[in-house]
Amino acid sequence: MTIVAIILCIAAQIFLVIGQVFMKHAMDEKTSRPRASRAKSLMLGILAQTVWFFLWLGLLQHWDLSLIFPFEGLNPLLLVFAAWLILREKLSIATWVGVALITGGLLLVAA
Amino acid sequence: MGQGVSDAESLPLARPHGVRRWLLNPYLLILIGALLNTTGELFLKRGANTEAHLGGWAGAMGFTPLLSGWTWIGIVSYVLSFLTWLSVLRTIPLSIAFPLINVVHVFVPIGASIFLHEHVSLKRWAGISLIILGVLAIMKPVAQAEEKL
Repeated sequence: MTIVAIILCIAAQIFLVIGQVFMKHAMDEKTSRPRASRAKSLMLGILAQTVWFFLWLGLLQHWDLSLIFPFEGLNPLLLVFAAWLILREKLSIATWVGVALITGGLLLVAA
Repeated sequence: MGQGVSDAESLPLARPHGVRRWLLNPYLLILIGALLNTTGELFLKRGANTEAHLGGWAGAMGFTPLLSGWTWIGIVSYVLSFLTWLSVLRTIPLSIAFPLINVVHVFVPIGASIFLHEHVSLKRWAGISLIILGVLAIMKPVAQAEEKL
C-alpha cells in the first residue's frame, strides 16, 4: 500500500468516529435535548458518514477489500475513547479487555 | 418551544411483548445489522470491480462504481444496516455497541473468502479469532447483566 492510501484509510476512520458520536448524541433516548438540536446532530452525523462512505468507495476501487478492511481496526479504539471523552460513557474492564483483543486481532490481520 | 424534555419523557416506552420484543432486542439488531453491513461490503466490492470508467473529478472522487448495479444493492444493504444501527443507539451505550458491531470484521473476511475468492492467510484467521474473543469478552458481562433484569 502507498502512504497516501494509508493516510486516506486513517482519515476515513476519523470521519466514521465523528459520525458515530454525533449519531449516538442524536438517538440516545435518555437525552433531554430538544428535537431540533437532535435533528442537527443526526444531520452532522450523516454528513460525516457520507464523507467516510465516498473515501471508502474510492479506496475499494484500488485495493482488495481484505487488505484495507483492517484499517477499520482503529475504530474500536478511537471510538471507545471518543465515547468516554465526549459522551462521558463509563467503561468497564470487560470493555477495555474486549477492545484490546479486537484491536490486537485487527493488527494481526493487517500485519 | 422547550418541549424536548416532556416529549422525551411522555413517549410510550412500554416494553413490547412476545415475538416483537424478541425482534426488537438491541443485541439481535446488532447481529442483523452486522450481517446487512457484510452483505453491503461484499456487493460494494463487487460493484467497485466494474469495468466501467468515469473520467474527470467524478472518477477521481470514487463515483465510478455507481455505474454498477451491484453497488446499488450494496448501498440498499448499507442503508438498512444503518437504520438498524440507529435503533441500537437509542438504548445501548456507544462504547458497548460499537465493539460488538466489530463482528463484521469476522463476517467480511469469511464472505470475501467464500464469495469473492479473496485469499485469507492463516495469520489473518488468527487475527479474526482474536476479534471473536474480544467480542465475547464484551458480550459476556452484558448478557449476565441482562439476565438479572
